Amino acid sequence: MAALPEFENHAQQSIKTTTCYMCACRCGIKVTLEGNEVRFIQGNPKHPVNKGVLCAKGNAGIMKQKSPAKLTQPLLRKAGTERGSGEFEPISWDTALDLLTQRLRKIRATDPKKLAFFTGRDQMQALTGLWASQFGTINWAAHGGFCSVNMAAGGLYMTGQSFWEFGDPDWDHAKYFMLWGVAEDHASNPIKIGLEKLKRRGAKFVAINPVRTGYQAIADEWIGIRPGTDGLLALAFVHVLLKNEQFDWDFLSRYTNSTQLVIDAPGTSEHGLLLRDGSGELQVWNQATNAPDAWVDTRVSAALFGEFKTVEGVQVKTVMTLLVEKYLSDDYAPENVAQRTGVDASTIERLALEMAHVAFKETITIDTPWEDWAGRKHEKFVGRPVAMHAMRGISAHSNGFQTCRAIHLVQILLGAVDCPGSHLAKPPFPKHVAPPVKPAKHMAPNTPLASPPLGFPMGPEDLVIDDNGDPLRIDKAYSWEAPIANHGMMHMVINNAVKGDPYSIDTLILFMANMSWNSSMNTAEVQQLLKKKNDDGEYCLPFIVTCDAFHSEMVNFSDLVLPDTTYLERFDTISLLDRPISEPHAACDSIRQASIEPDRDVRPWQEVLIDVGTRLGFPALSNEDGSAKFKDYKDFIVNWEKAPGIGFLAGFRGENGEKSMLGEPNQNKWDAYIENDCFFEYKLPVNQRYYRFANKDYLAWAKSVGFNAHDGPIVMELYSETLQKFKLAGQGLYDGPLPKADVDKQRLIDYFDPLPDWYVPLEEQRIDNKAFEFHAVNQRPMFMYHSWDSQNAWLRQIMTHNYLYMNRAKALSMGIEDLAWVWVSSHHSEIRCQVKLMEGCNPDTVWTWNAIGKQSGAWGLDKNAPESKRGFLMNHLISELLPSVEGERRLTNSDPVTGQAAWYDLKVNIRLAAPGETGVYPEFDTIKPLPSMSDTPSVLKYATHTAVNIERSMSDVIKRGGLR
Amino acid sequence: MKLGLVIDLDTCVGCHACAVACKQWNTSGTTGPLSDYQPYGEEPSGVWFNRIRHYEVGDYPTNKTINAPMSCMHCDDAACVTVCPTGASYKREEDGIVLVDQSKCMGCNLCSWACPYGARELDEEAGVMKKCTLCVDRIYDENLPEEERKPACVLTCPSHARFFGDFDDPQSEVSSLVRERGGYAMMPELGYQPVNKYLPPRQRPKAPTVAAKQSEDSGGLIAKWLKRQKDAFNQLGEG
Amino acid sequence: MHPALSVIFFTVTSGAGYGLLLLLGSARLSGIAPEISSNQTLFAGIVGLVLVTLGLLSSTLHLANPKNAWRSFARFKTSWLSREAVFAILFYPICLVWLAVVWAVGNSTLSLVLGLFVAVMSIVILVCTAMIYASLKTIRQWNNPLTTVNFILLGLLLGSLILLLMLHQQNIVVSRLIVISVFLISLSALTKIIYFVWIGQPAGPTINTALGFTRATVRILDVGHSSDTFLNKEFGYEVARARLIWLRCLCVLLAFVVPAFLVSGVIGEVGFIHLIAAAFSAYVGVFVERWLFFAEARHVVNLYHGRQQT
Ligand SMILES: Nc1nc2c(c(=O)[nH]1)N[C@H]1C(S)=C(S)[C@@H](COP(=O)(O)OP(=O)(O)OC[C@H]3O[C@@H](n4cnc5c(=O)[nH]c(N)nc54)[C@H](O)[C@@H]3O)O[C@H]1N2
Ligand SMILES: Nc1nc2c(c(=O)[nH]1)N[C@H]1C(S)=C(S)[C@@H](COP(=O)(O)OP(=O)(O)OC[C@H]3O[C@@H](n4cnc5c(=O)[nH]c(N)nc54)[C@H](O)[C@@H]3O)O[C@H]1N2
Ligand code: SF4
Ligand code: SF4
Ligand code: SF4
Ligand code: SF4
Ligand code: SF4
Ligand SMILES: [Mo]
Repeated sequence: MAALPEFENHAQQSIKTTTCYMCACRCGIKVTLEGNEVRFIQGNPKHPVNKGVLCAKGNAGIMKQKSPAKLTQPLLRKAGTERGSGEFEPISWDTALDLLTQRLRKIRATDPKKLAFFTGRDQMQALTGLWASQFGTINWAAHGGFCSVNMAAGGLYMTGQSFWEFGDPDWDHAKYFMLWGVAEDHASNPIKIGLEKLKRRGAKFVAINPVRTGYQAIADEWIGIRPGTDGLLALAFVHVLLKNEQFDWDFLSRYTNSTQLVIDAPGTSEHGLLLRDGSGELQVWNQATNAPDAWVDTRVSAALFGEFKTVEGVQVKTVMTLLVEKYLSDDYAPENVAQRTGVDASTIERLALEMAHVAFKETITIDTPWEDWAGRKHEKFVGRPVAMHAMRGISAHSNGFQTCRAIHLVQILLGAVDCPGSHLAKPPFPKHVAPPVKPAKHMAPNTPLASPPLGFPMGPEDLVIDDNGDPLRIDKAYSWEAPIANHGMMHMVINNAVKGDPYSIDTLILFMANMSWNSSMNTAEVQQLLKKKNDDGEYCLPFIVTCDAFHSEMVNFSDLVLPDTTYLERFDTISLLDRPISEPHAACDSIRQASIEPDRDVRPWQEVLIDVGTRLGFPALSNEDGSAKFKDYKDFIVNWEKAPGIGFLAGFRGENGEKSMLGEPNQNKWDAYIENDCFFEYKLPVNQRYYRFANKDYLAWAKSVGFNAHDGPIVMELYSETLQKFKLAGQGLYDGPLPKADVDKQRLIDYFDPLPDWYVPLEEQRIDNKAFEFHAVNQRPMFMYHSWDSQNAWLRQIMTHNYLYMNRAKALSMGIEDLAWVWVSSHHSEIRCQVKLMEGCNPDTVWTWNAIGKQSGAWGLDKNAPESKRGFLMNHLISELLPSVEGERRLTNSDPVTGQAAWYDLKVNIRLAAPGETGVYPEFDTIKPLPSMSDTPSVLKYATHTAVNIERSMSDVIKRGGLR
Repeated sequence: MKLGLVIDLDTCVGCHACAVACKQWNTSGTTGPLSDYQPYGEEPSGVWFNRIRHYEVGDYPTNKTINAPMSCMHCDDAACVTVCPTGASYKREEDGIVLVDQSKCMGCNLCSWACPYGARELDEEAGVMKKCTLCVDRIYDENLPEEERKPACVLTCPSHARFFGDFDDPQSEVSSLVRERGGYAMMPELGYQPVNKYLPPRQRPKAPTVAAKQSEDSGGLIAKWLKRQKDAFNQLGEG
Repeated sequence: MHPALSVIFFTVTSGAGYGLLLLLGSARLSGIAPEISSNQTLFAGIVGLVLVTLGLLSSTLHLANPKNAWRSFARFKTSWLSREAVFAILFYPICLVWLAVVWAVGNSTLSLVLGLFVAVMSIVILVCTAMIYASLKTIRQWNNPLTTVNFILLGLLLGSLILLLMLHQQNIVVSRLIVISVFLISLSALTKIIYFVWIGQPAGPTINTALGFTRATVRILDVGHSSDTFLNKEFGYEVARARLIWLRCLCVLLAFVVPAFLVSGVIGEVGFIHLIAAAFSAYVGVFVERWLFFAEARHVVNLYHGRQQT
């Protein structure tokens, strides 16, 4: 073999491990550097999340680093110019932070709620949440409310674990996998790794999604469901399973509240609550004594079915009885849901029976002895290898919370929760239903909150409302309009604050959220709101601070812009106190280490938060005398403790880094992480890997490391007493706060069914469905992250503009041809865009890629870039408010339980644009470039060194005949 | 040796990771940089060695979506090589990799005309033809850990839809995959004998169902369960 | 295929040059124009060489890296382009020697032999040029014998008209040449029309065989890039059907019908104006023909971009 030249000068290269943040999946990466330039970014094979692979975005990190849209210095809106006009002057960090601190100090000393601090698709809620608590404002939340709180809440109020990034299907053992409404999700690489494992093992993969692209492309069976009807489909599965007696009797009795007793006393405040004894113990029906007995007493032979009367004369039914009564009704019979869901009755029945077959006839076991919470010893873990995963196709509907519960119900009936082959929780999950943290509602000047701003209400008394019943939070989370808004309602903040409803605020800090563009519903109007002034000429929203790393649309609407570093330029933590990177069988966290020197005057937001918090004298950050407790962010991470032994990073604790999960601060922690490729993984012992909701050893450990407050069993709530309490409140029967407005009462009655339920999505209930024939939904493109990636020279070559996709036969029947320009209208507004026809699309559905459209001039792009001329956002069509009803206050377009933004409830009609009507509508003004933004190159020739060519010898050229 | 790739259409989700990984590696690789034109302008485009296309097979509702990544097939009978007047294009004798010697190419495009698979792209900035090198600058680099001596696209693929190996070795992973999964060549009728092979979507056997037993109405079912529960309890009592 | 003007100009112009030199080189022996004087040979020969040279120069404009053009001689063994390049270069000394002999010695056996040699070289080069295209299995519109036939015939046609123009004062020769021209026009019109009909039938690989899914309709959903790439620009050229038909008519009209009428004397006595018009018309007609030759050629890579068949 002819010798090959030396291609790379390895001596000049170095490799740094760190954590990717081209998206929130947070894969481990190895960055090969040549000087201060990146030669190559690859997956770290040892990393628990991505095991060496990397997605398209991760592979394009170099071009993020090269982006012309990078912010370079702090900016202040020029005095006398209008907000949104893009006139900024560069200021120094000192000036910027002085300005900010002064303003915040005043707010904190007078009325802390006048600061609202909201963060987008970030991953440092532990820090920002702590910061807000220390500041003393309850007006803090992250993106969860407009993202997927329905999945978190649906799971945490039912099984103690959830979809989203908090659990994973058991890719290694599942034999049947059902994917509900997922295009890409946060576990971007893990899902792909997992799907291949499933297919290699011959498992069946069923995809339920109105659109067949991406993951659904490789599904063995595609169910092109009509949007918003998954709950109905899931409950029809429940119907078939029950009717065919396919449910796990033991699992239900042992691990769920199915045997608990529900009081049947209509018209009273007791109705629908669970029977308790004098000491508050939940009761079951003891068949031996024919009387109630404690659920916790596992010696009791509890009835799963039955209707009983206690000696005191209380009429009760077991939860399971109520459940079968509800779901065996004809409402959920396959033939009666087929029309609505667009799925054949025979298919519904077959799928349910296929799952039952796998669960009960293809049961698997893992021969590891374990002990449950009650001391019962088990020889092995029994697995019902049916796994599911669901995401925004479910959550982004106003019936998403209940739909998510309906899906969990299918899992629970099959006994397919946290057992081998099913859906597995990732530590710190599972948690008790629901986690015992209540949202804060009391504030006082210069005082930290007593509890975190966000928590889990267990009844009306936990709402964050004043004595009048009015919302206390600026986003109206935890009010009657969204009682279980566990993640806040970021999508309502600008609207509410500008309208002064419930009150006005002074300063809005946004971190990593593009709220004037793709992250808001009703974008065009939000931009107007941001510019809106009150009668005295002041902005209704007086001061907007944005921390971003790039020239986003939101930066343009800010008063103070604090430029962040890129992910390759900073130290950072991905903490177990936050949204961790854990795997089902390991508690994990990780760090980022700076690999590249920033070439601009930028600071990591982490540093800024610590700095500003210290200046403001937060007790967690500063001493009595005002001096700083911590030198900087790195020092804070090392030495701050939430509770003794528990800090942001669980690995390498103890003085010498010898302890895991718990232990004293280790001064060499950062180095220890770097040494370990920037992550830490605590693998659960084999007997703690399944049935963790009831696994004695796991529960004891989870308590000891601070995941859970106690080590009692986690009981799955098929029947939610919490929901019933709200329902009672709606009926005026609750002993506690009661809603005043009729609409609030009715919503509690209609949507707070204690058993998983389905109802028509709210927008659909209020519009003329003949006039708005189509459902309109979005999908995430696998190669772009929201708005971030149009600035990426490589990724944008894959897609610079989007189309509205329609079912071919349906479109042609309406005279709409491929690439036609159409008007798309909703009850709220209209857009013009270009159509593309396809086969794999539910005929009643149209869809497009999310966040491809950009405002002209943003993101370092040419003002005529196709992103702004041909790309469009569906957001213009979506209103943050439901269609109005005479005499009723405007309601948020959100799930009535959780406040989750109902992006995918959108219904539209479509008509051909007139000849010559082309180009997207609406068009927005071109955003001005920022001062000191450099010109963009017309050609890019990125390379870290001169290429070493392989020379073909002239003799070979001349001598060789054909190919050989 | 006959080196090449196997691509599994049964697991490719069309994520473009391999395409970008290829771009990333090769822009500083032996034929780099891979130029990008108007990177932030109206018509951004550039040189890529690997492109992912998405197709639909069949009509709704029996449609299937196929994601098809394509790069150089390192054809055994590669007309791209025979047409090349300068000798810049050649197929390596030792391993069959088809390469372009960047110093010899005159940029006549003829090889790209001869390639049925769209695997060659002219770099307008450099004026020379470029194409997939099968990451020749990775796979033989002994400074890399052995398990990383694979093409960038193979290393990165999240759904493990890409395999690299020696088709001359019947024991290799690629050979056995082709054997076992019915690996096929694209557009075989042109006779280029592409080395890269594609694995068709797997045909899954029908999933079994539990026997349906919907005989009773719901009232009957609950009564039956009540009885079952009582019987079980009584048995417990007796035992 | 993208119809690159440099390549069209090259094949048409140097084709005309070689056609002319072919006729010229063999003029006396073949009896096409035994009466031709050495001066006339010299003049026409220079014209032919100029045409050839203009064409070749133009062809280098098509190269993205012309500084390596010299390397194109390297792969004579397998590459038609290399062969063309080698022969084209070899052609110069031979042609120049011939013209020198004609100039110095006048018509002689030596010049006769050399002329013949030039003629043979010319036809070889025309074949080589044609084979560059005809050998590509990826483009079925090219990958057939008619490509070579057309290249040769159209080169000869143009060559004959140019020769006619240059010899227009010699009546005997002209009438003979007219017969030859009309014959060439008819034959090339015939083969071209056969060609048009022939490429009209869809054939060859389909999107189904291209992807290996042969049992159902295959449609493109997304090509995976928003802007055109090298592949789209080079191979994605599409002309509207109506425009194609119009251009084909124009081609037949200008390349065949008009010259045939003009030289055959149907519209008035054949004079210089007629001949120059005929040559010009034919040149433009062949230019359109060559443009169509590219524009109508559909590379199989288009199958991957969604075309059902080429
Ligand atoms: N590449 C990339 N990855 C990302 C992101 C990104 O922007 N790019 N964003 C991240 C974020 S913040 C999030 S929240 C996640 C979201 O990840 P996903 O949950 O995958 O979210 P979407 O892309 O919104 O996909 C929703 C899917 O549900 C389908 N769908 C819509 N309505 C219904 C319905 O009623 N029923 C069913 N069954 N399906 C329906 C749509 O067709 C689509 O396929 O992705 C994260 N990961
Ligand atoms: N129509 C429609 N709209 C939607 C959705 C939908 O499905 N359909 N999905 C919704 C969902 S689920 C979500 S989560 C939201 C996404 O909402 P956002 O979280 O707002 O997402 P991005 O648009 O990515 O905006 C994040 C901002 O972070 C900035 N950024 C990136 N990296 C850094 C960094 O390192 N530091 C700092 N400080 N800033 C950085 C980016 O420049 C960008 O301006 O969108 C929502 N919007
Ligand atoms: S999924 Fe991709 S972008 Fe997201 S963290 Fe992993 S590699 Fe980075
Ligand atoms: S795929 Fe194309 S470039 Fe690669 S060897 Fe085959 S013909 Fe040549
Ligand atoms: S473009 Fe370069 S490699 Fe291709 S045929 Fe021409 S000289 Fe050869
Ligand atoms: S083998 Fe290397 S050069 Fe070829 S497509 Fe894969 S990454 Fe690109
Ligand atoms: S990386 Fe893998 S899954 Fe993604 S497009 Fe490439 S081959 Fe397909
Ligand atoms: Mo999200």
